[in-house]
Amino acid sequence: MLSPVKLWRNQKNVGGMLGRTGKIISWTIVRVPPADFSDQAPYPVVLVEFDGGGRVTAQLVDWDTKHLSVGQKIITIVRRIIKPNTEGVIPYGIKVKPL
Amino acid sequence: MTVSIIGASTTKFGELWGTSPRTLAHEAMDGALKDSGIVAGRIQALFVGNMLSGMLGGQEHLGAFFAEELGFSHAAAIKIEGACASGGLAIHAAVNGILSGQYETVAVLGVEKMTDHKPEDVATALMGAGSSQERASGCTFPGLYAILARAHMLKFGTTQEDMAAVAVKNHYHASLNPNAQFHRPITIEAVLKSHKVADPLTLLDCSPISDGAAALVLSVKHQASSVKIVASAVATDTLGLAQRASLTELQATKEAAMRAYKQAGIEAKDVDVAEVHDCFTIAEILALEDLGITKKGDAAGGIRRGEFTLGSAKRVVLNPSGGLKGCGHPIGATGVKQVVELVVQLRGMAGARQVAGARFGLAHNVGGSGATAVVHILKE
Amino acid sequence: MRGLQEVNNMVGIVSYGTYIPRYRIRLGDIAAAWKKQGDEVVSSLKVTEKSVPAADEDAVTIALEAALRALAASKGKPSDIEALFVGSESHPYAVNPTSTIVGELLGIGNNYLAADLEFACKAATAGMQAIAGLIASGQTRLGLAIGADTAQSKPHDVLEYTSAAAGAAYIMGEKKLIAELLAYTSYSSDTPDFWRRDGVQYPSHAGRFTGEPAYFAHVMGSATRLFEKTKTQPSDYQYCVFHMPNGRFPRDVARRLGFTEAQLAPSLIVDHIGNPYSASTLLGLAAVLDVALPRQKIFMVSYGSGAGSDGFVWETTKELGKRKDTVQDQIKNKTYIDYVQYLKQTHKI
Repeated sequence: MLSPVKLWRNQKNVGGMLGRTGKIISWTIVRVPPADFSDQAPYPVVLVEFDGGGRVTAQLVDWDTKHLSVGQKIITIVRRIIKPNTEGVIPYGIKVKPL
Repeated sequence: MTVSIIGASTTKFGELWGTSPRTLAHEAMDGALKDSGIVAGRIQALFVGNMLSGMLGGQEHLGAFFAEELGFSHAAAIKIEGACASGGLAIHAAVNGILSGQYETVAVLGVEKMTDHKPEDVATALMGAGSSQERASGCTFPGLYAILARAHMLKFGTTQEDMAAVAVKNHYHASLNPNAQFHRPITIEAVLKSHKVADPLTLLDCSPISDGAAALVLSVKHQASSVKIVASAVATDTLGLAQRASLTELQATKEAAMRAYKQAGIEAKDVDVAEVHDCFTIAEILALEDLGITKKGDAAGGIRRGEFTLGSAKRVVLNPSGGLKGCGHPIGATGVKQVVELVVQLRGMAGARQVAGARFGLAHNVGGSGATAVVHILKE
Repeated sequence: MRGLQEVNNMVGIVSYGTYIPRYRIRLGDIAAAWKKQGDEVVSSLKVTEKSVPAADEDAVTIALEAALRALAASKGKPSDIEALFVGSESHPYAVNPTSTIVGELLGIGNNYLAADLEFACKAATAGMQAIAGLIASGQTRLGLAIGADTAQSKPHDVLEYTSAAAGAAYIMGEKKLIAELLAYTSYSSDTPDFWRRDGVQYPSHAGRFTGEPAYFAHVMGSATRLFEKTKTQPSDYQYCVFHMPNGRFPRDVARRLGFTEAQLAPSLIVDHIGNPYSASTLLGLAAVLDVALPRQKIFMVSYGSGAGSDGFVWETTKELGKRKDTVQDQIKNKTYIDYVQYLKQTHKI
């Protein structure tokens, strides 16, 4: 079970990263997922450069194949990071979607 | 002061269902001790390289664990962890233990047992090598190298076939290595046809999940004929790819290599045989470039043309053991096995895999997606 | 009289935002999975397709998207929000408020009243009335009411054709209003037409009982009182909005109350995205506000099973500005999925 304390401490940073725009600089599609992500596979993971500097690695959602290209504009949003087990606290975090 | 390798041995690598970590350790260390001609009582310190014993097996404290198991009664013992560079880092610590003057004769054990656990759980544990942001994104270890591969493909025109050529070479070398996990050569077509793990990397672009152990005995006391370690260098870079300055080179490799060449007083072109870190095919292409053996962007072509393959090599032979790809990759064992292979090569005992007249060997061991790099240079 | 409130100080909508997930499944594809006649289902419900959330969306993430748009439209600071109510039938936790997770991610700070509401499809409109009271009393200057749902339904049940996902957020205040709240009523009774027991995954319903004694009785009950209280009649309004469990009920009730098809038409989001439960009426209101002109009156009555109806009279002002991310924009921004993918995204397989 994910530590609620760790989630709480890290979730304080999530709000500040919302709504930032940038572009994809590299990408992959994960087809063999780790245990926690098995219900989401296959999913793209992208390396993004923000307008104004800084980079982040995040999952790309609401995508079509044409969005998997270097230079594609994206924006940061909040989604469930993984589907938690029935007892655990739900982790919300940053993903990106095409603009 | 010179550090000599007086004993070197490795187990077979593969899916060793019936073999426990203790048995693996014994096989490797008993072999190394026998090779060295000294008894366990002379070992003053044990350096253990391993990544996953805690996360997967629930067992930490491996220094004491294996010192007891191997009969190094009351010796100093330390576990070293640096993801896939754990083995190389254990050797580095052992070398420094001797160079410090505190120990005369020490042992290094690299060991990993991965097949006891479900692949999804192993995949999750391996993500511990990256950053928490990468874990939250669901980016598996292959995913990280896939991102690097794509950047290299876009900048230098590297193709899937170029990467597949690495796998073909290393499986060919592995077919000559009785300890390797894989025995049969493969074709470029087979690599391209295997299913995608993280685009663009396919199953055959990735090193396997393996069990195995390798061991070394190092000493200041040596014979003139002993292989010597003439460089041991470590460098780091950012944990996560998002914080790197470049996606088309591993600066940790470049730094560690520069330091190692300086320590050894040689250049890249002086290396005759090299065991480099091909956790994924793209990693060998990056290694060749970042170690300064070829220029940036030139590695793929050279590999495809067979310039680094046993039998047709124009320059240094890369990964005669089969590398991580063909020989297998039990995480903590790899860095140590690389040096064992170089010792065998420099002694002239490599049989069908022998690189003729090898004088200088280089071992290159990387942790995570390039956050740690360890380079050792050996001289015969 | 019981159930009627007098509005002392002017209260109304400062800004609004909506969010509809991009995925759609055609009712015909659901019907085909169960070997039913697609056109029959479509014509009886008057719905062609419904919105489906992504696997990693829930009421929290959808409420947040809608709220971010409402905040952006208001050009205000999140810390100005002093009350935040989220109404949903699919709060991710039975205990642990959606409203504070959303509030934290919005950056509201700590000085606000947060509460989660449940009243089937009318939880959010109940929240609006509560916030209206807080503002009128002077206790709160700015409040945020959100309706968000990832509505669940049992496979092969009739609700499977309409249960959808969306969110609508309204920032309410007393100044710079784009729409004033002229009057409101509420009509409540204990009517078990649709329910979900604690710990049970899918709701149950009482079939045709959800019609006359439930939806129609309460919507018309609340509407009648609202006409009486305001001394108005349907022709006084440019638009009307009713809760939309399917395409038929709102059309029927509008006609029975005396409204025309033209007055109802802009609000009928149900035809294209189905019923997103707590967001249904509020999305209909947003669709109207997206096209309304200043000084137009809107008659709105929600419905929640169990049961109750909240009635509102709104009048738009000249502050109605440019609209971004309109409901129509989002209805058009869609991608189709098949039934198997629908089952995966709604966590049934």
